[in-house]
Amino acid sequence: MSNSSRCAACKSLRRKCPQDCVLAPYFPSNNPQRFSWVHKIFGASKITKMLQQLPVELRGEAADCMAMEAYLRVENPVYGSVGIIYQYQQQIIEVQNEIIKINGEIAVYNALLQHQQLQQHQDSFFSTDNDFNL
Amino acid sequence: MSSNPCSSGSVGGGGGSSSSSCGGGGGSGSGPCGACKFLRRKCVPGCIFAPYFDSEQGAAHFAAVHKVFGASNVSKLLLHIPVHKRLDAVVTICYEAQARLRDPVYGCVAHIFALQQQVVNLQAELSYLQAHLATLELPSPPPPPPPPPQTLMTPPPLSISDLPSASSMPATYDLSSLFDPMVQPSWAMQQRQMDPRQFGGPCSSPTGGGGGDLQALARELLHRQGSPPLGSVPCTDVSSSPSLSK
Repeated sequence: MSNSSRCAACKSLRRKCPQDCVLAPYFPSNNPQRFSWVHKIFGASKITKMLQQLPVELRGEAADCMAMEAYLRVENPVYGSVGIIYQYQQQIIEVQNEIIKINGEIAVYNALLQHQQLQQHQDSFFSTDNDFNL
Repeated sequence: MSSNPCSSGSVGGGGGSSSSSCGGGGGSGSGPCGACKFLRRKCVPGCIFAPYFDSEQGAAHFAAVHKVFGASNVSKLLLHIPVHKRLDAVVTICYEAQARLRDPVYGCVAHIFALQQQVVNLQAELSYLQAHLATLELPSPPPPPPPPPQTLMTPPPLSISDLPSASSMPATYDLSSLFDPMVQPSWAMQQRQMDPRQFGGPCSSPTGGGGGDLQALARELLHRQGSPPLGSVPCTDVSSSPSLSK
């Protein structure tokens, strides 16, 4: 295979890219950065081994997920993907609190409405009663 | 999460630790750390793994890390992290490694998808409730009731401000929750919105050469994580953080 048609992985590793290169379908030459993330975090041999252990139809998803994990770890070396997980958990807490707050507001409204209706009922009852007494 | 790594409740390095209170690394008469035991090599003083993988069950944790990331990659990663942050890094790396072994296709990304879907569902519920609230006509305040013949209880004035606000909720970063069972990946995959293909896979959109929306989202979230004061890094619950010796 000529140099120009090497996948990003083989280009980065400075080796020939065979026809049956395991990484070539998932690390195209037009996106070298994607492989650099994966190479830095997992290593070429690890990711090759992990992909080889999967059915072909699942390798694309796996490669994409590993690329995401690697990117998140490069961006945040301490927490990696857990940083995003934490953010989502915090967001869930915030939204749940908002929901509680709004349910409370609706409950207050209903209570005020009920109170008003009760007052109206009592007013009409007593005015009827007065008329009766007359 | 910068507890003394030698404390019993947290990660302990075999008989040695590089923390100031424990001095030295592994291999000082207490046996090799879990990592060196697994790698069958001499555990030298100052071993970078010793504070985090004890000689008993740390080896099992290290096995997962080694299988997924490799010892040299993790070592290089830890070397670039400040010492007081390394425990958090090791915990999260162990989490990702175990998640990857449990689910070789999606790994911990399944958890991300599940949470993302939960956020979407909750936001939909919130929008619905907000719309519902907006349609309600607030009743005019009732006039002061005349003293009725029968004594009636008037309800106490209700105040929205009495409700708990989001800002009053403590924000804790409990890494122990990472080790709870994750949502089934098949369900998460059906529901996912965060599309890893945006990280430049061959099947990604024409604009996904380097990431796309997901990268922007990840950058934004990471930037927000780093921006607040004092807890510029989320504080971690030391007491509940998992011990890697378990």
